[in-house]
Amino acid sequence: MAAAAAGAGSGAWAAQEKQFPPALLSFFIYNPRFGPREGEEENKILFYHPNEVEKNEKIRNVGLCEAIVQFTRTFSPSKPAKSLHTQKNRQFFNEPEENFWMVMVVRNPIIEKQSKDGKPIIEYQEEELLDKVYSSVLQQCYSMYKLFNGTFLKAMEDGGVKLLKERLEKFFHRYLQTLHLQSCDLLDIFGGISFFPLDKMTYLKIQSFINRMEESLNIVKYTAFLYNDQLIWSGLEQDDMRILYKYLTTSLFPRHIEPELAGRDSPIRAEMPGNLQHYGRFLTGPLNLNDPDAKCRFPKIFVNTDDTYEELHLIVYKVTTIFPSHPTLDFCRRLDSIVGPQLTVLASDICEQFNINKRMSGSEKEPQFKFIYFNHMNLAEKSTVHMRKTPSVSLTSVHPDLMKILGDINSDFTRVDEDEEIIVKAMSDYWVVGKKSDRRELYVILNQKNANLIEVNEEVKKLCATQFNNIFFLD
Amino acid sequence: MEAGGDTAALAPGGTEDLEDTQFTSEETREGEGVHAVPPDPKEEGLEETEDHKLVFLQQGPLLLVAMSRTPQSAAQLRGELLAVHAQIVSTLTRASVARIFAHKQNYDLRRLLAGSERTLDRLLDSVEQDPGALLLGAVRCVPLARPLRDALGALLRRCTAPGLALSVLAVGGRLITAAQERNVLAECRLDPADLQLLLDWVGAPAFAAGEAWAPVCLPRFNPDGFFYAYVARLDAMPVCLLLLGTQREAFHAMAACRRLVEDGMHALGAMRALGEAASFSNASSASAPAYSVQAVGAPGLRHFLYKPLDIPDHHRQLPQFTSPELEAPYSREEERQRLSDLYHRLHARLHSTSRPLRLIYHVAEKETLLAWVTSKFELYTCLSPLVTKAGAILVVTKLLRWVKKEEDRLFIRYPPKYSTPPAASTDQAAHNGLFTGL
Repeated sequence: MAAAAAGAGSGAWAAQEKQFPPALLSFFIYNPRFGPREGEEENKILFYHPNEVEKNEKIRNVGLCEAIVQFTRTFSPSKPAKSLHTQKNRQFFNEPEENFWMVMVVRNPIIEKQSKDGKPIIEYQEEELLDKVYSSVLQQCYSMYKLFNGTFLKAMEDGGVKLLKERLEKFFHRYLQTLHLQSCDLLDIFGGISFFPLDKMTYLKIQSFINRMEESLNIVKYTAFLYNDQLIWSGLEQDDMRILYKYLTTSLFPRHIEPELAGRDSPIRAEMPGNLQHYGRFLTGPLNLNDPDAKCRFPKIFVNTDDTYEELHLIVYKVTTIFPSHPTLDFCRRLDSIVGPQLTVLASDICEQFNINKRMSGSEKEPQFKFIYFNHMNLAEKSTVHMRKTPSVSLTSVHPDLMKILGDINSDFTRVDEDEEIIVKAMSDYWVVGKKSDRRELYVILNQKNANLIEVNEEVKKLCATQFNNIFFLD
Repeated sequence: MEAGGDTAALAPGGTEDLEDTQFTSEETREGEGVHAVPPDPKEEGLEETEDHKLVFLQQGPLLLVAMSRTPQSAAQLRGELLAVHAQIVSTLTRASVARIFAHKQNYDLRRLLAGSERTLDRLLDSVEQDPGALLLGAVRCVPLARPLRDALGALLRRCTAPGLALSVLAVGGRLITAAQERNVLAECRLDPADLQLLLDWVGAPAFAAGEAWAPVCLPRFNPDGFFYAYVARLDAMPVCLLLLGTQREAFHAMAACRRLVEDGMHALGAMRALGEAASFSNASSASAPAYSVQAVGAPGLRHFLYKPLDIPDHHRQLPQFTSPELEAPYSREEERQRLSDLYHRLHARLHSTSRPLRLIYHVAEKETLLAWVTSKFELYTCLSPLVTKAGAILVVTKLLRWVKKEEDRLFIRYPPKYSTPPAASTDQAAHNGLFTGL
């Protein structure tokens, strides 16, 4: 399998093997309560992609999911089915709100070989995908929807089924196009946040800046402070921050790369005339502060949906993300004039720190150790295996099979609460070490063909000593 | 796991429910599996949360379903279902099952399977209590000095009867030695799963005393035809002789054969040696001859499964494995099951179809596990949780050396073959369809 994936088939097949990565086959949302009787089945369906599918087939697919969920409930009453494996695809189920079901159907990866008489033989790779990865992606779909639209129930309250269907259509029609299932991996399970390591002084400066700003602009409810793609500070709840972080780093920021860095195809926003006293600018909001008629459209987001349920507006002012309620153009001007200059000063402090960090960790080209670290408590995540995220895909510098092995180790870790360590040697002679301590996980990939267990252990110890020297991992 | 009618074959009506949702049959090809994974609520007293797995397997007209809350992979559960199916086929043959359902769609197969519920229960229990056989696709032998085993093999080779295809000597569900008829089984090796099925079968309480004569089908050898089996306890001992032949009327010839074997064994003094071996273990489940892990002399080693892979090819008839008795801290049933689950998990990872591994070293709270597959062997070891990596390597090295040293005693290196007179066997055998598969 590893050989096939690397494109190196054997013998007569070698030149004629085509590989097809996993792909989204369908995605639908339904509520069985909306059409309980015969003939009403169509009412259950709240969203269905692809829409061109014939109505009866949609009803059948939804019916099958309902049946599976019901059937499995007899064995596990409090938590029904999570996934269904068949030869050609996998279906993932999620019930984010009571009786509202989201189902994602992913086609298994395929290898197409040419047989001797020229006919293509299709081989489905049923054991390839990791359940947890795609279940996490499905959950993220809901979280992202909820971030921009609030809960399903809220939509029902505001405008009944019709409004809910509209919102679902509007959101998922676009969002599904951004899913790149072939590059989903362990990091999707973590849904972590990359933090920017800062020295105490600069950190305190930023904190006090944020406090002063929130004081002078009191419609601001929460603030999050990021540098490049890394978080420095956030006042939001963890769960809200993590989904917002994902949105910012995979959707918003990549659309606003500096003009000189922007690629051929990315939309280059019109340069704002004028304020040359600082480098701040709005990523969401008015394009031109001096135009009194400028539209002030900010994306609305919904946070704290479990308790206070706040609907806020998202203002992303590079480098800061701010959350006020009811902002106006006037507010934006004030924001610009207060925040801009101070940010510019801070930015240069941070930039200095960034360069120091970079020098310490060495060249980004070939990191000394390939590892992934995640802390469940603060969602801090660090990976030297993933290269800079582009809007479309996250590239890794190791073979995807190794990432899947990491996923397997993660599954094993989730089974128990205790600290554990798992070391494996793959067929390709790579060593993978997984360590779990407290609520932290560390995965290290070593390319040392002839090493033995003890040598591998020593290497990992070296890594821990430099990067994680105040965290205890099992020896 | 519950066995019997419910998992072996769905009562009529069961299959129809699933047929309504057409996708199940569209998506799964013959013999292919489908499984759904509901998560498990945290239960009091259960330390681990384990997902429920539901696995469906279609074999001909039968649909088998496994529902499990163990860490076994779907492929392993499918393997268990295949073993259950093989058990059914061994009683009925695949051809008759197909014929019955072709004739009558909603026949209740339980009518024909009455009496095999306990065998199925035991089969599924053995997966949890003693996972080696199903997991490794191998057979475990009684440790016996090589000269004695060779002599017994030669004895079996001499005592033949017309139509005799296979002779097996077993004690406590473990193999002493077996001899195969060259012509019948020359083209097809005896599958270890079939042999294990026979060993389990003769271990049933039904064969506790005297002699018995019953038809049996070897599913992997030929799922559509019967052999006729003569089963006898020798000398009121747990030693059992099994003679498999192709002739329906050969009971007396087989009985004569048995007397020859008994006399031969007395002459060798084998009965006493086997009696001593049989009384070694006082484990209540199997009065099976075995050895203790202490014999290896590697402190820190708690248990292991070892399967050699470098058997010389022309003798590669019988994949075998060896493993010591389970002792403290695995004397209780829950602990045995937990260890079996751990072995299953290791096996699933090592042999994953998409990303197999060479070696796994897993440090956990209660034990450290090391699983290793090379071209020469497949090894699963269970060590004390406090062992260091250097210590673990030392233990495994000692173990490998010990196995090498004891090789002749632990494994049958050269299973004997023999020839029966051809004339009498072939024309009688044709009618029971024995050779249709060849």
